[in-house]
Amino acid sequence: MAIKVQIPTPMRDQAGGKAEVDVTGSTVKAALDDLLRQHPGLTAKLFDNGKLRPYINVFLNDEDIRYLDEMDTKVTDGVILALIPAVAGG
Amino acid sequence: MTDTNPLERYSRQMRFPGMGKAGQEKLLASRVTLCGCGALGTVLANVLVRAGVGFVRVVDRDFVEPSNLQRQVLFDESDVTNNLPKAEAAAVKLRQINSSVTIEPVVADINRTNIEDFCAGADLILDGSDNFEIRYLINDVAFKHNKPWVYGGAVGSQGMTMTIIPGETPCLRCVFEAAPAPGETGTCETAGVLAPAVNIVASYQATEALKLLSGNKAAVNKELLILDVWENTNRRVKVAPLAGRKGQCPCCAKRNFEWLDGAHGTQTTSLCGRNAVQVSQRAKGKLDFAYLASVLKQSGEVSYNKFLLKFQLVENGDPYEFTVFEDGRAIIKGTDQPDKARTLYAKYVGH
Repeated sequence: MAIKVQIPTPMRDQAGGKAEVDVTGSTVKAALDDLLRQHPGLTAKLFDNGKLRPYINVFLNDEDIRYLDEMDTKVTDGVILALIPAVAGG
Repeated sequence: MTDTNPLERYSRQMRFPGMGKAGQEKLLASRVTLCGCGALGTVLANVLVRAGVGFVRVVDRDFVEPSNLQRQVLFDESDVTNNLPKAEAAAVKLRQINSSVTIEPVVADINRTNIEDFCAGADLILDGSDNFEIRYLINDVAFKHNKPWVYGGAVGSQGMTMTIIPGETPCLRCVFEAAPAPGETGTCETAGVLAPAVNIVASYQATEALKLLSGNKAAVNKELLILDVWENTNRRVKVAPLAGRKGQCPCCAKRNFEWLDGAHGTQTTSLCGRNAVQVSQRAKGKLDFAYLASVLKQSGEVSYNKFLLKFQLVENGDPYEFTVFEDGRAIIKGTDQPDKARTLYAKYVGH
């Protein structure tokens, strides 16, 4: 079993069309590093100079990682990491 | 319509235990400012006016176009034919729906110089807009003047909404620290939108409005609601705590109202004699021309080099040409009206 990262619709072209990607790692940062290793095209979508873009939130099983230990938050197999960008239209 | 009992029209709503006669009377005495009257805004206005909210100020800068009719529920073909501003067209329909409440249409481009006037006297501010510039302005006004507001956004099949109450919930900047740079997130023009996605988001927003205005603050949803009607997901996520980011939030913790003060956002300059307007973007960051071109090619002709991107389109028979620079600045040819240029920029380059 792996960690599942949910990819938002506007970024799926850079993730081979996948809605979910299986990754490994013991922290949120390590898990996202693995995601970027598998799909380097996502790097510019998610990060700017090594920092997560400020309009994208990361939720670990529906909890904002800012509630937890941010990028150092521990993750284990079976958890879901959701990347949620702001929705602008209306 | 003549009612012997003016409350009779609200009888089914009053029978709902959470509302009752007391809640209804609060709605009738309440005032709302609706910022934007497109897809979200028309649904919001429709619900609030039918529910008997006593005063609704509807602010919108745009005109009704054929591509609006798929989802903007208060408009019809005659509004397009008559080239009516959305705020005015909405007011006509809303007065037919409920003549006992007051509708105040305002045809204006909401910006940092006028938003405080538009929100003066309101018990609640509702987000019916399509861009983050207006949302951060609403957020600043809400915290400066201690008024609740309800964020809503929708694009494609996705949507999200959050109720923001100064002193009780995190603010928009706690959740989304900065606006997406131009071109980085989809707009309804570039990514499309399904009517049910917007209707559902606006219906959640309207429900939150009814709770707040009828004195039922305890029932408010204090989490961020995220849904996708195509992928069948609907989740509520816990957002950062009050004055999130460990007390560092510039708006709700430090009370620096940067959008209202003009530190962020767009500014427009008419380029005299050129039938063109320059739209400048204060946020830092470089545009990804390859990505923006891939999105814009669905709407018109696009070409780009290392320095600039050209985008030509025809909208309602009028040709426009965008020259977009790496820093987000754009010169839009085909209009000398700053409002029109700002609208075009928000639609195609996005924010």
